[in-house]
Amino acid sequence: MPLGQRVVLIGGGHNALIAAFYVAKGGFKPLVLERREMVGGGAITEEFYPGFRASTLAHTLGPLRADIVRDMQLYRFSCEIFSPDPRVFAPAPEGKALFFYNDTAKTAAGIADFSQKDAAKYTEFAESLESISEVLTQLTSMTPPAIDKPSPEDFWNLFKTGRGVRRLGKEGIFNLFRWSPMAVADFVAEFFETELLRAVIAARGIFGNVLGPWSAGSTAVLLLRAAADAHPVGSASFPRGGLGSLTRVLAESAKEAGAEIRTDAEVEQIRIKDGAVTGVVLKGGEEIAVEAVVSGVDPKRTFFHLIDPSLLDPVFANRIKNFRAKGNVAKVNLALGGLPSFSALESNEHALRALSGRIHIGPDIDYLERAFDDSKYGGISKAPYLDVTIPTILDPALAPDGKHVLSAYVQFAPLKLMEGNWDSRRRELGLTVINTLGAYAPNVSSLVEGVQVITPEDLETCYGFTGGHIFHGELALDQLFTMRPVLDWARYKTPIRGLFLCGSGTHPGNGLTGASGANAAREIIRELR
Amino acid sequence: MGQHYDVIVIGGGHNGLVNAAYLAKAGKRVVVLERRHVLGGAAVTEEIFPGFLFSEYSYVVSLLRPEIIRELDLPRHGLETIREIRRHSRVDAEAYEEFSKMMVPMCRFVKPILSMIPPDPTTLNPRDLKQFLFLLQRFRELSSDERYTLVQLMTMSSADFLDQWFETDVLKATMSASGIIGTFLGIRSPATAYVLLHHYMGEIDGAFRSWGFSRGGTGAISNAIASAARELGAEIRTKAPVAKILTKNGRACGVVLQSGEEISAGVISSGVDPHLTFEKFLDPSDLPSDFLESVRHYKFRGSSGKVNLALDALPNFKCLPGAGAHLRGAISISPAMNYMERAYDDAKYGQYSRRPYIDMVIPSLTDPSVAPPGKHVLSCFVQYAPYKLAAGTWDEQREAFGNNVIETIAEYAPNIKGIIIGKQVLTPLDLEREFGLTQGNIFQGELSLEQLFFLRPVAGWAYYRTPVDNLYMCGSATHPGGGIMGANGRLASQVILKDWKRGAFRSKAAN
Repeated sequence: MPLGQRVVLIGGGHNALIAAFYVAKGGFKPLVLERREMVGGGAITEEFYPGFRASTLAHTLGPLRADIVRDMQLYRFSCEIFSPDPRVFAPAPEGKALFFYNDTAKTAAGIADFSQKDAAKYTEFAESLESISEVLTQLTSMTPPAIDKPSPEDFWNLFKTGRGVRRLGKEGIFNLFRWSPMAVADFVAEFFETELLRAVIAARGIFGNVLGPWSAGSTAVLLLRAAADAHPVGSASFPRGGLGSLTRVLAESAKEAGAEIRTDAEVEQIRIKDGAVTGVVLKGGEEIAVEAVVSGVDPKRTFFHLIDPSLLDPVFANRIKNFRAKGNVAKVNLALGGLPSFSALESNEHALRALSGRIHIGPDIDYLERAFDDSKYGGISKAPYLDVTIPTILDPALAPDGKHVLSAYVQFAPLKLMEGNWDSRRRELGLTVINTLGAYAPNVSSLVEGVQVITPEDLETCYGFTGGHIFHGELALDQLFTMRPVLDWARYKTPIRGLFLCGSGTHPGNGLTGASGANAAREIIRELR
Repeated sequence: MGQHYDVIVIGGGHNGLVNAAYLAKAGKRVVVLERRHVLGGAAVTEEIFPGFLFSEYSYVVSLLRPEIIRELDLPRHGLETIREIRRHSRVDAEAYEEFSKMMVPMCRFVKPILSMIPPDPTTLNPRDLKQFLFLLQRFRELSSDERYTLVQLMTMSSADFLDQWFETDVLKATMSASGIIGTFLGIRSPATAYVLLHHYMGEIDGAFRSWGFSRGGTGAISNAIASAARELGAEIRTKAPVAKILTKNGRACGVVLQSGEEISAGVISSGVDPHLTFEKFLDPSDLPSDFLESVRHYKFRGSSGKVNLALDALPNFKCLPGAGAHLRGAISISPAMNYMERAYDDAKYGQYSRRPYIDMVIPSLTDPSVAPPGKHVLSCFVQYAPYKLAAGTWDEQREAFGNNVIETIAEYAPNIKGIIIGKQVLTPLDLEREFGLTQGNIFQGELSLEQLFFLRPVAGWAYYRTPVDNLYMCGSATHPGGGIMGANGRLASQVILKDWKRGAFRSKAAN
C-alpha cells in the first residue's frame, strides 16, 4: 500500500496518540477520533468540583518509556514533571510509617526502625528487581513472537531476550520462573517480616486487577509493573496540571508529526467488506473511508460494539468473549478545604514532602486480602486498599488558594454489586473512603468540600472501558504476552484485514508507559508498507 | 557400624517402595526403612475399628503410572483396581461431552512430562536443550484450540476456566473442587486449573479421568508394590524410624535409627519430604546455606483433614433418598461456587471452614470385604483445614472439627448422626504426626506452579539429586508431584542407576 494513506485511530487515549505519532512519522496520514470533548482517555485533567481540578482517573505516570519520550521530543513542549521523593508514604494505624525514597539506603534506614533484617533485605530486593526488570523491559518492548511461523525478527528478539535472561545467572533465571506464578504475599514474605513493608510492595501486584495478595500469579503483575519502573514501589511522578497535560502534549507532538485529531467524534461502527475494513461511521452519520483502522479502545468494545460480531470467526469471537475484563477498582476525588494531617506525621516541612508522593493505605497483607474478599461476593470493601495522591502540594494551581485535592484509587469495588446498584451506593463508597482515611488522618472528614466518585460502572460508560477494567483486561498469566488479548492475535493485527489494536488490551498493557501504542505502530507501519 | 547395603530407602510410602523395587530389579542390595508398623505412607489400609478396614488417608486410585503396574507386574502381586467411580452424575449437557473431549489431548500432552526427568532451563547442555525443544515441538504440534486450552489450564483459576464452559453453578463447583484438592488455594485463585488437570490425569487401562478403588483399600496397592519389591530382593523393615542421615566428607554414607542402630549404604534415597530430609535428618552444616533457605521457602501448608466413619447403615440423602448407584461413586458436598470460595476464606485467616468441601466415598459398597456384613465405611476428605490455626491448637479443636463435618453432612443426609458407630478424625497435625507429612500436606508440598517441574522441590535440584553426594530424593516432593502415581520413585531410581553407571559411588561401594 502506498504511503500517505489514511489511517484512522479510534479513541484518543495515550496509546492511540503515541501510535498516531509513529504512524505519521512512518509516512501515513493518521486521524485520531475521540468520543469526548478532550483527548486523553484515562489520563485527563478535569474540574470535578467548582475550582478544583484533578487527574480524575490515572494520577501517576507509568512512567512513559524513555525511547517514546525521546522520539516524541516531549521535552520541547511545556510539561513539567514532578518526581516526588519520597515516592510513597505508608502509614500504619498505630502511628508508625514507612517512607520509600528514590535512594535505597535512605529507605532502608527507615525500614530499620521496624526490622534490621528487613532493612538489609530491602537493598537485596531492590537490586534483584532492578536486574530482572531489564529483561522484562526488553520483553515489553517487543512484539510477541508468532508461534507457528516465527519471523527472522522474532528469532532475533528471542535471541536477544535469551541473552538478557542468561545474564541473570542461574539464580536469576530460576527466580524469574519461580516468582512469576507466585502469590505476591508469598513473594514478599520470602524477603520481609514487617507486615507494613510486605503490604506496600505486595499492593503493586494487585493494583487494578481482580486479585488479592494471596492469589497465585499476582507476582507476575508486580514484575510486569517493574518492567516500567524497577523501584520496589513503582512510580509516583505526575505532570504539572495533572495527567491531562501529558496527553495534551502527546497530542501536540503527534499533530506536529502530521496527525489530525478530532474530538467530539464518536465512532459508532467500523465498516467491513469482504473481511477488510473500508471505513468508519461516526455518530451523526458521517462516514470516513479509510485504508486502515487502529483501535485504541478495549478489545471487547472493538469487536462486539464497533463491529457486527457476525462478521467474526466464531473461534476468535469466543476467545474475545472469554477475555476477562471485569473491573474491581473505583476512584474517589476529594475537594478539601485544607491539608489533612496524618497522625504518623508531625505537621512541618517534612510532612509536606512526605505527602507529596503516593500515600499507601493498606497496613498488612490480611487487610488487603479481606478487602478483596468482600468484592468476591459482590460487596464493596468495608476497609478498602487506597492508593492516594495529593497533587496540590506540588501543583497548588489545581485548587483554590490553600485548598487541596485528594485523589484515591479504591480497591475493591466490583462492577456488579450483589445488593443495590452503583447509583444508590455511590455515596456510600465515598463515605467509606473518607472513613478509611480518617483512621490515619482524623481531620479529613471535616475538610471535605466536594466528592467525586467514579464507580466501575462510570469507568465503563464514561471512560469506555468495557467491564470497567482500567487495564482494558485483567493482567493475568493467561492474558499476557502471546496471549494478550488472545492467543494467535497478540501481534496488534486482527483477523480483519486493515484492523489493528493499540490499546492496553494488547501486550504489554502495563499502565501509562505507551508501550502498547509504540509496539503497535511498528507492526502497523510494517504491515501497511 | 551394622549392616551395609547398596541403597537405603527412607520411608515405605508408595514412592519409596517403587524406588526400592526398581533398584532391586537392577540388582542392588536395597533396604527400605519405614517408621510405622504398616507400609504405604499415606496409602495405607488400617483396621481402626474391629471389622472395619479404612483406606486411612489416600482413598482412591488412579494416578499410578501404567508403566509401573506393567514393569513391576503388580496385578500378580495382588493389585486389583475396581473401576467404579463416577466422579459425579454425568450431566447430559453437550458442553460436558465437548469438555471431556478437549481434556484428552491435554492429558496426552502432559503425560510424557510425568515420565520425564525435568530439564534444567539454565544450562545449554544439549540433553536439556533437546528436552525443551521436544516440549516446544509438541506444543507447536497442537492445534490452535488445544494450545489455547492448554495455556489456560496451566495458568487460570479453575473457576474462571469452568465458567467458559458451563453455566450450572453446582456442576462448576463440583468440578472446580478437583482444582483445589490438597492445595491452599481457592477455586478462584489463578493456577488452580492446573491441579484440575493433574487430577484429570487419572488413568486406568489407558482411559483418562477414570478413578477406582483398590480391592482391600489403598493399602493393598502399597502391599502389592512391597511384595513386588521383596520378590525382586529388596529388604523391607517396618518400625524402623530414621533419626539421622550420616555423612562423611560431604557424602551420605548411612543412617542412624532412633533405636541407635547404624546402617551404612552407598546411596541414601529419601522418600520423605524435604523438611524431614534436610532440616531434621541432616545437620545445617551438611548443606549450602542458599539451598537450606530454598528448602525453608518450600511451601507445605496442609489444607485438608480426613474423617473416617464406621456406619451401621447407609446414609440417606435428602435429594436422592434410598440406596442406589449414586452412593457407589464419589459424593461431593460442593453445592455452589461461593460455598467453595467461602470455605477457603475461612482457612486463609487460620480457621477450619465453617462449611467445608467434603468428598466422600463408601468403598464398602464396591468391596464388601472392608466392613462387616451390612455395615459400611464412609471416608470423608475435608477441605479446608489449615495447619496453622489462628486460635487454639488442633488437639483442642479436633473434636469440634469432626463434629462440624458431621453437621455439614447431616444437612444433606440427616440420618448420618444416628448411624455412626465409630469415628476417626485426622487433622493436618495428625497427618504430620502419624504419616510424617510435614504440615499435613498430602502432596509433600503444594502443587503450585512455582513448585512444579524443574522447580520441584528446589530450583536447581529438581533432578532427584541433592547437594549432598549420594543422597537422593524419591518422594512426592519431587517431579511430578503427589498422588499415588509412583512416577517419582521410578524416575529417581533411573537417576540413581545412571549415576551408578557413571561410577559415582564406586569408591564408596568398594569400602
